[in-house]
Amino acid sequence: MIIHVNFLPKPGDTGASEVIASLAGLLDQGRLDGEVLSRLRLHLDWLQYKANFREPITVRHATGARGEPTALAELAIDVRRARPERLGDELAHAIASVGAVEHEVAGRAVLEDWAPLSRSAIWQFNRLFWQRLVDWERQTGRGFEAALPSGRSDANHPAAVADAVADFWTLLVELDKRGQLPQEIFALEIGVGPGTRAGLWLDRFKALDEARATGFYPRLRFLLADYSMPTLDRAHRAVEAHRDVVSTIATDALNPMRALSFLRYKILYVHLTNVYDNLPVDELVRRDGQLYLVETRAYLPEPASTAIAQAFGVGPSEQPATVGRLLEAGPDLFGDRERGVAFWRAVWDGVCLEERLRRLEGIADVPLPPGLDGTDLEELLTTAPADIRFHLSGGAVESFMNTVPLLHPRGYLQVQDIFVATMDEYRQGFRGPGKLDGSVVNWVNGPLLRVVGARAGYDVHFAPFRYRPGSRTTILYTTLRE
Amino acid sequence: MAGQHLTTAVVGSYSMPGWLERAKNDYLRRRITAHDLDEMHDTAVKAAIKDQEVAGIDIVSDGELRRDNMIDYFAMRLPGVEIDRTSKTSYYDFYESVVRGRMPMAPLGLVEHYRFLRRFTDHRTKVSVTGPHSLVKRIRNEHYPSEEAFAMEIARIMNLELRELVRAGAEQIQIDEPYYSGFPEDLPWGVRAVNALVENVDARLSLHVCYGNRYGKPSWEGSYRYLFPAILEARIDQVTLEFARRGSEDLRLFKEFDAPFTLGLGVIDVKTHDVETPAVVAERIREALAILPTERLSVNPDCGLLHLPREIAFAKLCAMVEGTQLVRREISG
Repeated sequence: MIIHVNFLPKPGDTGASEVIASLAGLLDQGRLDGEVLSRLRLHLDWLQYKANFREPITVRHATGARGEPTALAELAIDVRRARPERLGDELAHAIASVGAVEHEVAGRAVLEDWAPLSRSAIWQFNRLFWQRLVDWERQTGRGFEAALPSGRSDANHPAAVADAVADFWTLLVELDKRGQLPQEIFALEIGVGPGTRAGLWLDRFKALDEARATGFYPRLRFLLADYSMPTLDRAHRAVEAHRDVVSTIATDALNPMRALSFLRYKILYVHLTNVYDNLPVDELVRRDGQLYLVETRAYLPEPASTAIAQAFGVGPSEQPATVGRLLEAGPDLFGDRERGVAFWRAVWDGVCLEERLRRLEGIADVPLPPGLDGTDLEELLTTAPADIRFHLSGGAVESFMNTVPLLHPRGYLQVQDIFVATMDEYRQGFRGPGKLDGSVVNWVNGPLLRVVGARAGYDVHFAPFRYRPGSRTTILYTTLRE
Repeated sequence: MAGQHLTTAVVGSYSMPGWLERAKNDYLRRRITAHDLDEMHDTAVKAAIKDQEVAGIDIVSDGELRRDNMIDYFAMRLPGVEIDRTSKTSYYDFYESVVRGRMPMAPLGLVEHYRFLRRFTDHRTKVSVTGPHSLVKRIRNEHYPSEEAFAMEIARIMNLELRELVRAGAEQIQIDEPYYSGFPEDLPWGVRAVNALVENVDARLSLHVCYGNRYGKPSWEGSYRYLFPAILEARIDQVTLEFARRGSEDLRLFKEFDAPFTLGLGVIDVKTHDVETPAVVAERIREALAILPTERLSVNPDCGLLHLPREIAFAKLCAMVEGTQLVRREISG
């Protein structure tokens, strides 16, 4: 057995010793199958998201490229949640299931078929959340930003916004000096939240412009873009004071070009906060030099399935179809929206992802997002640790590649989000997916965006968010690659 | 026949195959030999020539597929330019290059590549060279007292090479100066450098000015108005400009100024994968014909096709030729 410690433990807050002790106890008792043990990899994780898609102990089987069984198997333990008093039995049970012919776990309500993570139903839940945000918030009684770890969004930090405005204003002055400032000054915010940041930004920009008498504000065309109309409506109300320079536009963050192609090469500033971490990803795993794609299927564990059956009268066998209707039709599926939202929340609270690893025969079999070349991924992997599980942040890459064509030749993109800065960091902590209120959250593969950016003619940089101590936010910004 | 004046040409570069990009990078990393890369270059150039011929282009190029980019191909050949060969890991990046002393006279070796092109086509051909202004914007100058002096020295050296090209049979030579658009204040000396470059070069000379095509996107935006009237002093036969992406508004400059040269009209947007229809191309030509007579107009893409996938580049060239033929037929009745 190979033991992977996938986090940097802080003294006193790890259950790693209990896990190891339990394993040693099982060995001493002769309760472990030697054949299974010889090919098993044990992963000790620390899942920092209190709400996530993993049970404390999970088994991952591996298959060959055509789905045939292979020797590799992984046992993953969230040491944060594993209960020491039951660890021995649960480990023995999990390890026994590794060697079992039948991998189905009794009592689970499986909600979908196996598919790569990016095609999981959790993204339909995510979309539903943003589309029906008002219904969700009405029942929970709190805004979605309250679910953030700090209780508020770094997007709205006044000093950060002031610096962002100052940088932009400086660019405008430089362009103006050279006679290259367009008559209309386009700025774009994608993923607008409640509109707080846009409001702060516009207030600050107007004040600066008036103080310096530069006359830029009346030429500003500030676009609020989001795929959720309720969100756009709310954001627009927040910037009411700037209605003459603000427009809203329904836009898919994955492809802003679709709605905004008429602004190709015209936008001087594009900003996104906490959008990339909410876009579909895949995960790749490399073990013994072999690449695997993580496939998942959503399920309700037995306790959640039973509780839902009791509370809503939807039995385990009916749950997959009922959840399917929820994801298609929204929370009005019972003809009672309150009950529908409650069902939605209960399912979301309970839903987990079963995982398996499907071997890829080579780089050419990786489901690469547009803009990423196989050789780029190959180069990235040459600098990555040999044994690694990492995000193929396809949604972020797709969004990036479909956003930069909008940039004016001197324009830039700024993204506030949670980024992994080096591939090594994937071995130093859990990077998602997690649940944030009703949405999905994932760290974003920064090195991947660096590679993609270079190919598109941009150097991609990452700066720590220095405005709030302890913040996990990083600011990505682009500069023109000459 | 009047319609024959609407000759079709490429601006220079043709679609870079992915496999050749990988090979160029492998060569940088010493994974393949120069000999292997040369063979691949030869193969890619032959394919590029064939594509242009099949598309029906009148004046073809070698697709510039041997070049890493528009600067390094010349920086590595110009005598006296020191190159830091560790300074890039991707072929398309620019080397760090510097001139620290007076540049000696020496051949650049462009003739050999021209002869290769000539050997594999019966069509008329074009050779493109990066102009002195653009070169001095990327090669660091630690010797000459000014950018203009540096550019004039480069022009003096490259002038000999252009004459060698003519001796080898080159009939059409194009000078690429995209950096004019980024530094319009340099134009007076930029034009003087071009004039020094083409002095006594007995070929049809064109000057290509665009708004940049680095990574397939523009480097600057603006109007060609900055070119006038300084550009009128350039001793060239043709200026080749981009209009498809930017619109035809600047065509009126040719009405406003009595230019002594013809216009190479950009009718293909090289920064989008959307393939123009022949009808769109024809309409773009007709707009120009409202201002310039046919004998002062030829037809080309906005810029090089380097960043387009091959099938898109080929389809665009076919559309360009078909659109031109539509107008030729209209003119010839």
